[in-house]
Amino acid sequence: MKFLCIPCDSPMKLQTIGPPEGGSLSVVYSCPECGYEIAMLTNAYETQIVQSLGVRIGPAVGAEPWNGSGAGCPFTAMIPSTPDEGSKDLAPASERERVSHANGAGPGGPASERVGGTGGAKPPGLSWTAAAEMRLANIPAFVRPMARTGIESFARERGALEVDEKILDAAREFFGM
Amino acid sequence: MKRYHDIVGDGGSRILEQVAEQRTRITDGLAGVRHLVAVGSGKGGVGKSTLTLHLAGALRARGLRIAILDADFNGPSQARMAGVQGALFVPGSHKVALPRTGNGIAVFSMGSLIPESEALEFESAAHGDSHTWRATREFALLGEILGSFDWGALDLLMFDLPPGAERTVQYADFLGPRTSFLLVTIPSEVARGVVARSVAALSKGPNRLLGYVENMSGYYCRDCNAIKPLFSDRGASPRRTPLRAHSRGPHDPRSVRAGCAVGAPEPSGLEIPCLGTVPFDPELARHCDRGIPLAELPETPVGLALEYVALQLLDSLETTGSIPDEVPLHPLR
Repeated sequence: MKFLCIPCDSPMKLQTIGPPEGGSLSVVYSCPECGYEIAMLTNAYETQIVQSLGVRIGPAVGAEPWNGSGAGCPFTAMIPSTPDEGSKDLAPASERERVSHANGAGPGGPASERVGGTGGAKPPGLSWTAAAEMRLANIPAFVRPMARTGIESFARERGALEVDEKILDAAREFFGM
Repeated sequence: MKRYHDIVGDGGSRILEQVAEQRTRITDGLAGVRHLVAVGSGKGGVGKSTLTLHLAGALRARGLRIAILDADFNGPSQARMAGVQGALFVPGSHKVALPRTGNGIAVFSMGSLIPESEALEFESAAHGDSHTWRATREFALLGEILGSFDWGALDLLMFDLPPGAERTVQYADFLGPRTSFLLVTIPSEVARGVVARSVAALSKGPNRLLGYVENMSGYYCRDCNAIKPLFSDRGASPRRTPLRAHSRGPHDPRSVRAGCAVGAPEPSGLEIPCLGTVPFDPELARHCDRGIPLAELPETPVGLALEYVALQLLDSLETTGSIPDEVPLHPLR
């Protein structure tokens, strides 16, 4: 979608995006010639269509490139997220619920038993080195919680106190990846 | 007054640019894959997933590097059948390593991530109106999977498609002209009619139709050691008579391909080559439920039929040749 200032016959430029509210975004454009401003106010359908494309609306400056991790979506603020996982906007909702189970925050269930095969009470998470965290951040948001839980379980079974790149490489080798 | 195409850029939203970046990432991620094959039908319940897994197994046994992407996000079955439920996803330096079956087939299935007791759901601003956005979101998810997992160097990546003739065409549009299609039907007029619609729809696009497989083409009775009709004769292809074909002996692979005029248009209305027929074997169904590979069903009619279809598929692909990497996955319009 493009906006044109008719009196100036000049393309308008995106200026700001207001905080999402009730499924609506407020996107302000201005004319670089005369300074006239307009606001595009999206309805929930329009907002959702853009969100479904997996893209961010906004200026390139400061924007995160799409990296498949789900971290580059503009709708992060619309969706509650946990501190350690960042934006979960691209994650299936059922996965988020399952994550809460796996972290011991929920009632538990088949998923928490399945991930890492731990079942029952979940042991506290291991620490991760910065390099290992960086590798984890490269993977899609909807896979990340499961990967974290499974790798920590793998590390514990080997007596490791933290997850580093050696553990990740060992897991890859162990599982024939 | 300027029109849309007179204006360069989009004023800063970068939406088209980002979509193009996504596509580039997907294309780059699949650059090492020699052949992309989507296994579809249009009709549900014809055995697409079973055939996908076992054709992959047959080709893997011949030393090919194979991966399966279970594109049926809402009804994933490959995780269970391939034995990768609860698989561990390990991040590599840039991408995620794929879980592998015992015989080395890389498999992505949402069934590895979401328990069978749960449905795939997405957060949405348009609450309760998923019909307006859900398909778009699922294809974005497919793009994310293609771009984020380490597909590496493969001879063949097989997409196990969800049912629906319209979905089959949507996948063709999304996956682009590099992807060839293998369609699956069963010997019933209803199923064949639905598959014929898929053929008609796909024929309008650039994707190559490799052919079709007639699954459940009779069933293998272990007690009788014979292949018996599973559907009425009315639904059967005029050239396919499983019982007569079986007269060559249940362990002769010719017996299960005899009714299929390979490479010739079928009188069934499916104007694409038939790559073979596969009988139903309850033992195979049991194997699928338990994630046991086909290799443990050697020298049975169904095993031999699958082996035959796999070879036909391979021949068909080799005839096609690989598409150069520079062909975009799906050109931005």
